[in-house]
Amino acid sequence: MLPSLELTASLNWVIKSMSMFLKSLKELPPFGEALGMILEEQDQGAGVAVLLPGHGRVSSSDQGGIFHSGAILATIDNTAGWCIRDHEDYIEGTSMATLDLRVDFLTSAALSETLRVRAICDGFDGSLAFVRATAEVVASGVLVATGQATFMLGTPNNPANV
Amino acid sequence: MAQSLQNKLDHVHRLIKANPYLELLGAEAEVIEEEVIVSVFGAPHLVGNINLPALHGGVIGSLLGFAATAQVVYTNNLHASPRLVNIDIDYLRTGKPIKTFAAAKVVRQGRRVANMRAELWQAERTRTIAVARVQFLLDQ
Repeated sequence: MLPSLELTASLNWVIKSMSMFLKSLKELPPFGEALGMILEEQDQGAGVAVLLPGHGRVSSSDQGGIFHSGAILATIDNTAGWCIRDHEDYIEGTSMATLDLRVDFLTSAALSETLRVRAICDGFDGSLAFVRATAEVVASGVLVATGQATFMLGTPNNPANV
Repeated sequence: MAQSLQNKLDHVHRLIKANPYLELLGAEAEVIEEEVIVSVFGAPHLVGNINLPALHGGVIGSLLGFAATAQVVYTNNLHASPRLVNIDIDYLRTGKPIKTFAAAKVVRQGRRVANMRAELWQAERTRTIAVARVQFLLDQ
């Protein structure tokens, strides 16, 4: 049986407001904006994907105009956090603290390229979340860096307590 | 002697100028008793969480990596950054958007690889905000 026109319309409204809600979850922090990170909203792959276009501000020119390792690390850190907030069991408002982050730099990437960082949450419970991430060149698919991070959930969102 | 020290520090300063990303961070470097201390002023664009507010984890990680790079460059009098193999950061406390320091020491340096330990602090050096294990490949 086909849903009524009215039901379809209200479903559409729910989906639309949900996606607006999700988008607000992923507002770029000031440093994400400074680096020029872009959330890939139409991404169909697993987890969450963020693009980092090559630009002077993310460059390491003494090594010949390549992405600076720190800019890749920062994008992996950011995407890993977003992928937890994107998890189906994540309750909005739960605070989150990064416990650790390890990044392996497999190869360098030219600034003429754009990187795609993808983060996938492998484990999630009320207290901990485990994430793995990759950074690859969009055009060629070459793997540039891999990362792994652990997050603690539900820590008090107050610097006085940390 | 003093001149060679200045010369070694010049390599570190050149490193910052040659890396626009480090300039975006506002990174600075000084040497105190053979230890390279790098720092950033906690500028608003370095924030990762506007509610706390807290420095972005990527800023903390980048500064730890830079501290290790600067120490390797200084110790070995290198003219370019060595290749960063990997970095493993432990975040111990929230970093506030204020003046932040980092320094690294060599755990072991062989002919090809340097293994470093970096730490990051703010107002008090003993109140460590984050630590990292950093490895470089030297013979590139």
